[in-house]
Amino acid sequence: MTDNKNSKYSKNYKLSISNPKLFDAIKMTIAILIALAITFVILCLISKDPVNAIKTILFGPLSKKRYIGAVIESFISFAFAGLAAGVLFKAGGFNLGAEGIFIITGAVVAWIAASPITTSPILHPVLCYLGAMLVGGILMILPSFLKAKFGTNEMVVSLMSNSIYAAITAYIVRNWISTAQRGSVSSKDYLPTARIGYLYEPLRISACFILLIVVTIVLYLVMNKTKLGYQMRIAGTNPKFAEYSGVSAFRLSITTAVIAGVLCGMGSTTQLLTQTSYYTPAQSLVGIGFSGMLLSMLGKNNPIGIVIAAFFIKYLEQGAAVLYFVDGAVPSEIVSIVEGIVIMLISSQYFLRRLRERQLLKEGLEEHAE
Amino acid sequence: MSETILKLDNVTKVYPNGTVANRDINMEFEKGEIHSIVGENGAGKSTLMKVIFGIERPSSGSVTYKGEETNFSSSMDAIKAGIGMVHQHFMLIPSFSIVDNIILGDEPTSGIFIDKKEAARRCQELSDKYNFELDVNAKVSTLSVAKRQKVEILKTLYRNAELIILDEPTSVLTPQETDKLFDQLRSFKEQGHTILFISHKLEEVKKISDKISVIRNGVSKGTYLNEDLSMQQLTNLIIGRDLDSDMNAYKTHEDFHNEKALVIKDLYMERNGKPVLDHMSFAVKNGEILGIAGVEGNGQQELVRCITGLEETAYTGDIEICGNRVNELNIKGRRDLGMAYIPEDRMGDGIAGSLPISDNLISTYYDRDDINNKVFMNSKAIKETAENLVKTFAVKTKTIDAAVNSLSGGNIQKVVVAREYNTNSKFMIAEQPTHGIDIGSEEFVHHKLIEMRNAGAGILLVSANLNEVMSLSDRIIVMFDGQIAGYFPNAKDVSESELGMYMLGAKHQTPQEIGGALND
Repeated sequence: MTDNKNSKYSKNYKLSISNPKLFDAIKMTIAILIALAITFVILCLISKDPVNAIKTILFGPLSKKRYIGAVIESFISFAFAGLAAGVLFKAGGFNLGAEGIFIITGAVVAWIAASPITTSPILHPVLCYLGAMLVGGILMILPSFLKAKFGTNEMVVSLMSNSIYAAITAYIVRNWISTAQRGSVSSKDYLPTARIGYLYEPLRISACFILLIVVTIVLYLVMNKTKLGYQMRIAGTNPKFAEYSGVSAFRLSITTAVIAGVLCGMGSTTQLLTQTSYYTPAQSLVGIGFSGMLLSMLGKNNPIGIVIAAFFIKYLEQGAAVLYFVDGAVPSEIVSIVEGIVIMLISSQYFLRRLRERQLLKEGLEEHAE
Repeated sequence: MSETILKLDNVTKVYPNGTVANRDINMEFEKGEIHSIVGENGAGKSTLMKVIFGIERPSSGSVTYKGEETNFSSSMDAIKAGIGMVHQHFMLIPSFSIVDNIILGDEPTSGIFIDKKEAARRCQELSDKYNFELDVNAKVSTLSVAKRQKVEILKTLYRNAELIILDEPTSVLTPQETDKLFDQLRSFKEQGHTILFISHKLEEVKKISDKISVIRNGVSKGTYLNEDLSMQQLTNLIIGRDLDSDMNAYKTHEDFHNEKALVIKDLYMERNGKPVLDHMSFAVKNGEILGIAGVEGNGQQELVRCITGLEETAYTGDIEICGNRVNELNIKGRRDLGMAYIPEDRMGDGIAGSLPISDNLISTYYDRDDINNKVFMNSKAIKETAENLVKTFAVKTKTIDAAVNSLSGGNIQKVVVAREYNTNSKFMIAEQPTHGIDIGSEEFVHHKLIEMRNAGAGILLVSANLNEVMSLSDRIIVMFDGQIAGYFPNAKDVSESELGMYMLGAKHQTPQEIGGALND
């Protein structure tokens, strides 16, 4: 202990794993390394050239601009789903309804995008966004509202609402905005004005990318610097304490649900207007809402962490796709193994606990000796 | 001379959050003695007991029981070895009979069935042998707190415990019940049992112990024969300095024009068809502390929940806070009128454990203007507020960014009290404000309550600790069975045993006498 005793907080910033944030970072890194090691073992079994295969997964996406462009384009809507889940979970909610909101707001986007309501290529996507955000924000309230008014279980209602919203979406698309051109149930083609163009085509950077960055920063500030963020923190950590402190659980759950619904709307609009030219309810947006929950876990409900995690996962997926392209023996699903192991390890309470405890024991005794 | 039953050698325990609860503790316990362990709550008594009882494993050092080093992997091993523990919070199933509770986990069988008859016979035999006066077929839910405690003790005896650990056994008892318990403990001692007695109440420790061991800050401060130790010395050993116990000396007497912080009129509430609050009326004036004494479970909790606005069951009657009727307001509305509240369940209601101390210090006024800018919260002001409070309330921490649950119980309570103090409220509910915390913190909290009182706040003190009620209050109400059983306009003029009679329901005042609680 050679610390400067005059600065009373110096010790707190010491680099040691008793610092929880640093510990989380170390845990994450080690989890990723373990996952990659296991992946490598599997690659050894199925690939003729495992070293090259793992290299391709890790660095393949960087080899061509369009590969990294594909990552940038696809991770945005995914990140929005993660942010939506992060907002809900941060405040201690059990609302798992993002999936349904993604799907039903898709119908709103498809409807507006196929309607000749404006000829402006800027206004048209903006209207799609606004429509999806509005509908998403309203519909996401349902589980929280029913819980407050009728004492229903938020998780059950939200899971059921996923199916209900999916069914309503199928009905809307089939009966109101379908086309006879294709066999499957899908919407009419969007008008060209609704499509979102690129700001920098080689890397497929569009205005959506900027939107994501702005939204992430705003969310970060809201969650860490505002009264609402404070309410979310205390309610998410101890709901009884929040009640005792005078935070209205009802108002908070409605507020966070609206924000999450709006984020889902942003995500579905981004996905549809950048990656599809018509909406297929059984396909276009399925699974994104659920994956968002995994992202919020990986990112520890921190908006910036969530966005990084979204990029990381899409990057690995792209790497696996490149690998499949050069070595057909390795299915691109290999990357699911990495995802699964990482999520399992970082959500484990016990992983690396001994290491941390030993360090704490040492520090605790040192401190005591002072 | 006599044989050593339990020996601790250099026991050290460090918790995963880095807290060193015990450090190199050496202690010896002899067979057939009543040995008290005293110390502040953060001091590590409970941890030491958990180590002995096999709930926690020591990080280093060894525990030797009857000459053999123990290596308990759970409390089951300890029980098998002959160690019994009566926890502060009883571990009984209310809907089961006494016998069922006692044999749970160790049922005598005949064939594949539980031999209830044999079990009942053995339990009754034990109960009679030790003079427990229990009908072992009665349901636990029908028993008083003192009797439930007896069941817990009987349970340890049924499992042939030779060493019995009692963790704060008197915290739920009236003075009369405590005396009875002590008689019983002495008879156990005569039968050759060893008693390990843990308590905060030093008078009781002095009364019952043969030997006293002191722990301070996780370190043993030695074992002493009771007769070699004066009260003064004991206090000194525990907190490392003298303590002043006469709180009245700090009270000033200013006139607050008889303004009332709280008025309760004819409050009535039922639960399961039984009245839990039975037409209560009283008032708390500004600049006074009104103490509510009573054995736990006589409606105090319900009363507090009605006043704070957290109660969900319907009730009748009027509640006024600082001159406003608040029946329809939620807790936020009541807080805005000037109510502050130190909750009984500190960990459950009073803090968000994993959040920083600073977050926990502002929760009940996080929306106040002085710590907010237009859009964002003013982190600089929050930091200043938190650092000031940590300093004024002597919260032992390196930084306000530490998670609040890394603190000891006493320091957590200081955080809670500091926060409520900083609301600058005119009316404060202090519910068991020093329950389970160390003497040093207790004294500190008491001083702060008196300080608020002197500044003109009305304080409703609800406590199961009679000494606390008597030393802090200006007026006292005793609650029994949801009613005001006694009202004492002058706290100084009433004795402990007198209050005890009312707490047990042996005495009850006339409506005229009780009426003074509202009108004085």
